[in-house]
Amino acid sequence: MPKPSDLLQGTLDLLILRTIAHEPLHGWGIAKRILQASGDVLSVQQGSLYPALHRLEQQGWLDADWKDTELGRSAKFYSLTREGKRQLGRETESWARLSGAVNLLLEQA
Amino acid sequence: MRRLRSWRNRLRSIISRQRADDGLANELAFHLDQLVAENIASGLPSRQAREAALRTFGNVPLWAEQCRDQRRVGWLHDLRRDIAYGLRLLRSNLRFTLVAVGSLALGIGANTAILGTLGALFRGTMIMPDASRLMLLRGYPSQLPTRVNNATAPEYLAWKERLHSFTALGMSIANRQDFVDAADGLPPERLTGQAFTPSLFTILAVPPILGRTFSADEGRLESPARVIVLSYRLWQRRFGGDRAILNRQLQMDGDTWTVIGVMPPGFWYPHEDCEYWIPLRLLPQHMQGSERLFAVTARLKDGVSQQQAQAELDSVSTELAREFPARQRDWRARVVPLREFWFAWLRLPLAILEAACAMVLLIACTNVGALQLARATARRAEFAMRIALGASRARLLRQLLAESLLLSSIGGICSLAVAWGCLRMLAIMQPTPGGVHVQHLALGLPAMTITVLLSCLSGLAAGAAPVLWGLGRDASFRETSERGGTLGGAMRGALVAVQLSLALMLLIASGLLIKNLYRVASGDRGFNVDGLLTFDFRIPPGQFLQPAGSYYGIPIGEAHATTAVVKRVYERLRTIPGVELVAGVSSPPVNALVVPQMTILREGTSAPVTPAERDSLGAVHLRMTPGYLRVVRAALVRGRDISDADTAPSPWVAVINETMARRFWPGEDPIGKRFMFDVVSGEQPRIVVGVVHDMMQFLGGFAIRPTVYTSYQQQPEHYRGPYANQYGQMTFVLRGAGDPGDLMPAVRRAVAEVEPDRTISNMTRLVWWGGFGTINRGVYSTVVLSFAIVATLLASIGVYGLTAYALSQRTHEIGIRLALGAPASEIRRLLWRQGIWLIGAGVVVGGTGALALMRLLSFDLEQVSPRDPVIFSGAIVLLALAALASSFAPARAARRINPAIALRCE
Repeated sequence: MPKPSDLLQGTLDLLILRTIAHEPLHGWGIAKRILQASGDVLSVQQGSLYPALHRLEQQGWLDADWKDTELGRSAKFYSLTREGKRQLGRETESWARLSGAVNLLLEQA
Repeated sequence: MRRLRSWRNRLRSIISRQRADDGLANELAFHLDQLVAENIASGLPSRQAREAALRTFGNVPLWAEQCRDQRRVGWLHDLRRDIAYGLRLLRSNLRFTLVAVGSLALGIGANTAILGTLGALFRGTMIMPDASRLMLLRGYPSQLPTRVNNATAPEYLAWKERLHSFTALGMSIANRQDFVDAADGLPPERLTGQAFTPSLFTILAVPPILGRTFSADEGRLESPARVIVLSYRLWQRRFGGDRAILNRQLQMDGDTWTVIGVMPPGFWYPHEDCEYWIPLRLLPQHMQGSERLFAVTARLKDGVSQQQAQAELDSVSTELAREFPARQRDWRARVVPLREFWFAWLRLPLAILEAACAMVLLIACTNVGALQLARATARRAEFAMRIALGASRARLLRQLLAESLLLSSIGGICSLAVAWGCLRMLAIMQPTPGGVHVQHLALGLPAMTITVLLSCLSGLAAGAAPVLWGLGRDASFRETSERGGTLGGAMRGALVAVQLSLALMLLIASGLLIKNLYRVASGDRGFNVDGLLTFDFRIPPGQFLQPAGSYYGIPIGEAHATTAVVKRVYERLRTIPGVELVAGVSSPPVNALVVPQMTILREGTSAPVTPAERDSLGAVHLRMTPGYLRVVRAALVRGRDISDADTAPSPWVAVINETMARRFWPGEDPIGKRFMFDVVSGEQPRIVVGVVHDMMQFLGGFAIRPTVYTSYQQQPEHYRGPYANQYGQMTFVLRGAGDPGDLMPAVRRAVAEVEPDRTISNMTRLVWWGGFGTINRGVYSTVVLSFAIVATLLASIGVYGLTAYALSQRTHEIGIRLALGAPASEIRRLLWRQGIWLIGAGVVVGGTGALALMRLLSFDLEQVSPRDPVIFSGAIVLLALAALASSFAPARAARRINPAIALRCE
């Protein structure tokens, strides 16, 4: 299993933004969703996740709200702001370009 | 939007830091609980589940700290530390801190006051709402555009009809009347008021506090009603603020007037000495002639600019010149904003003061900068240590800036007191008679803004020196070699030289101002009126005078000889027991605001044609009784005074002053020369029989004007010309044996005896006000002088600091010299050498600067050359002495250096 430091710089942002694109999630939920969706490959450590969440919130891409979970506990739910959606688009695009370029290199070299 | 959100988040984490931290803790706890729950679900007992979860989670405080870092408010906490550290430093160096804060406070405060005043004058609110749209329409001869004048009545009526740039036009003219209130029994007094069209009150838009202003009906130009609106001051002074004043009947110049309103305090227009308003009456001759008597005020329509209004006025002027060539051909008109009209003259003095303040602030900044620089040098070891421990350069520079900003903010806060004091001072300096009130000077928002801006700027400026120096020499932070100090020392030297030169410029400027003032105020005035009793005797204009159109744009009148009346009074006054000397003169001997200025036609020269030529041939004309020059103790330089024998049938003679002799007959003997006043008719040639010493007697500057004194007995039988009204007035001056007040009842009785119907007014002991604004100029010069003294002190402190610093840097070297047997005087000379170089540089730069500055500002120095060698050398000596004295103390300290200790100190 790759450690978070193995994730390419900036990829974590993309993963977080993508994960909460559909519905607001708390930090725990985001980590779980990334793990599940990547077929248990990408495990995001708390030490990277929370600073990243706070940074994204600080930059205005995420909005945070205290809401109750299904189990009745109050948790901090993150959702995308309008700017966040735009940023997700940009990041997706640049990721596609990057991964395309890396693939191209791998195939030709 | 995103920025906004990010700032909101940041703000939230600054303001409710505790709440943000609590939220973070909750968030992390939630995550931990979820981990625990997951572990329990997979079958672990609760205690082990928790331990496992904590293991997985890792270093909670570290994550929390990293999350906090994302808020990007760390700099704020750094700043708090910088400030605390800076405060500690400032406290530990208390003496220098006090000096620095004091000088900054002085510089910032004075600047605030003066900039605030300029702002208030040219942009602030006035009692008239929307005053920036108030304009005066003023005429000027097309060949002499600088000679701006009032307007004629026909012009006003034509403008009113044809101009569309203004909501309305109003007209006013000064009015003076002898005022009597039968009810209070006080002696009659002569009041100055204004005649207004009703529209003028509408334009000014200031409502009365009692009653009303004129109705259109009352203000009919040909037959106005006898109604009067009082100023607040007159209402308070003469009627004790009686609210039942409305409809009261007053006597003025023999007519009965009904009070209809009282204006609020602080309202005056167009001059401050205005005490009442009556409706303006147009006489038939006002409509025929081209007398420029009327001030025309207008309010710009919304959306119309001054330029548009000027363009419209220009085209109307052209139209009028075409339609009425005889009257209008040579005249144009100009739109002048009211503020410009009132305050433009204040610009230069305020600019000079502002320059002085700016210099003091600059010196204060350089002192603080030098202090910072010295400290930065002394703290090399500290900085090196901090860099070694991983502090970033930016962080260190930020700290230096924070320190100087701290210093300047404290200075800024203290400066508010200084600014308040300066504003009081400016309020005292405001001109009194006929001038304009500097209103509403207070520490308002604009002044505060200026203070804050200046504090920040001076903080940055003072902090910039060490920062720039530090930036350019990154090695010096690390090195502890002696070399680091040399460059800092050179820079400090330059700063001190700049200070010295600025201080010198201020010293020279204030020296010139004060020497000028001293010459003017205490020097030879040419006369002495102390202990004189004076009163005005006036023949009502209706009894001897008729307006008669105009002559070269100046209103003229037709006057019948009043000699007989004046002679009766004069002769009677001479017989009063106790009166030693008595004489009369047609304009008050001192403090007169308006004096008749006649055009002089010398025999054998051609008559002047252009307005400029006529202007250059102007001289003041005063009529006097024999003995006047003796009463005021004026010295006759040549020839003789007029006497009782100079009567109408004998040859007409004149006494002139020295200035007139110099200007009209340069290099010649004026005695026996003949000249004429340029009037329409009635005059005769006059022969110069005497030259009197110049007298500084008129208001409005100290410049002495050419003056002609003639005998009251040699007056035309039928005079037709300018200033005809002077034939109806005589100011008598009496010198008695005892107190002049004792003569008053006898004088009143004597005049009432020979001229029972006439009032006498303004009976008082004569006091020389010292010309227009001696007091103001005194305060003004004192302010500049105090700036100069402060600047010299600051510069001396700079020199002291530099020498002391150099000494501290060279303790080691001096120790060696002493150990090798150098005498103390040698050491002293060593330290002085630097000071002398600095002083030399400062004197050369400052002296050159002062020469340029004096020429640039063209001070109104009537009595002193702007390059007065005494003032220049005096200022240089004073500054050099102060600077030398301040380098003396450290140099003496050098003698006490113990070589044994000095050698070990490193």
